[in-house]
Amino acid sequence: MKIVLTPDWFLGFDVLIELFSFIVLVMFLVLSLKNYRMNKNKKNFLYIGIGFGLIALAQLATILTKTVLYYDFNLIQQVGQAIVTSNFVSSVDIFYYIGFFFYRFLTLVGFYIIYRLHNKRTYLGESLLFGYFILISALLSTEIYYLFHLTCIGILLLIVRNYYGIYKENHFLNTKILLIAFSILSLSQILFIFPNGTLQATANIVELISYTIFLFLAIKIGKNGKKKKSDGDNIRYAGGNPAKRRKH
Amino acid sequence: MEIISDMLVAILQKGGSIKPTHLMYKANLSHNQMKGYLEELEKKNLVAKNDNEKESKEKVSIKITSNGRTFLAKYGEMKEFEKTFGL
Repeated sequence: MKIVLTPDWFLGFDVLIELFSFIVLVMFLVLSLKNYRMNKNKKNFLYIGIGFGLIALAQLATILTKTVLYYDFNLIQQVGQAIVTSNFVSSVDIFYYIGFFFYRFLTLVGFYIIYRLHNKRTYLGESLLFGYFILISALLSTEIYYLFHLTCIGILLLIVRNYYGIYKENHFLNTKILLIAFSILSLSQILFIFPNGTLQATANIVELISYTIFLFLAIKIGKNGKKKKSDGDNIRYAGGNPAKRRKH
Repeated sequence: MEIISDMLVAILQKGGSIKPTHLMYKANLSHNQMKGYLEELEKKNLVAKNDNEKESKEKVSIKITSNGRTFLAKYGEMKEFEKTFGL
């Protein structure tokens, strides 16, 4: 059974794309935690940070696993020598299974946290049920690889729906960019379902496009937040009429 | 936090220094509220009383410090992030 579906000519590029995604996700994690440090009453900053952090960890897990799989020639030679000793081969298999399992599990949990943020009511039973399905799909995806991508699409579409609702209310350009980034990420997961080499490479490139948009957004948030007036002072989010804005 | 940023912005809009009574009206605060917040802002070194005017009570003015300006920049980034994600 093939461990990864990436075509041979694309091997290595996929790791670079995952590395890029990891960096972008860490940027969002840092942004969230910075904001949480500033306003500890707003737990949602922390939760979204945890969501991005888990997806970043998932990317790290797949980067490490694939790096060993693609570049550890010593290990490959050992595997070749150890074909007769089935114990060794199965321990190598376990390494890949665990690596990819963590990638799938952490990705799904991370996306689920980002989705749950906008649901005011949280039912313990519902969360446990979701947790159970996430675990099952992460476990079974070793055999049925597309199950993970199907679950991912489901959660990502729920996230897209949430942000569409938010965008309809605030008409904020950044939310629109976020919505586009998550939609493109969903599209990449749709492409990942097909076991065709070219489509797998295309899915990776689509994923790269979505994370590039996320990167652009992270930079834009930082820049706009610091946007200054001609006198050099930041008043983008304050000023106006405080009496109208605040309720005493 | 919103009140604090309103106060700092009111100071900035007056060129970085403002009289306490003006600040009270600009930030839409009562006298007691403003007194409390000002103490807090001074403690956190976000504003300072103009040194050369300390002796004459009528001439006292409040100026924003570099920490105050940094706070506003961070606050802007936080609000941008909050609005983007609808948090």
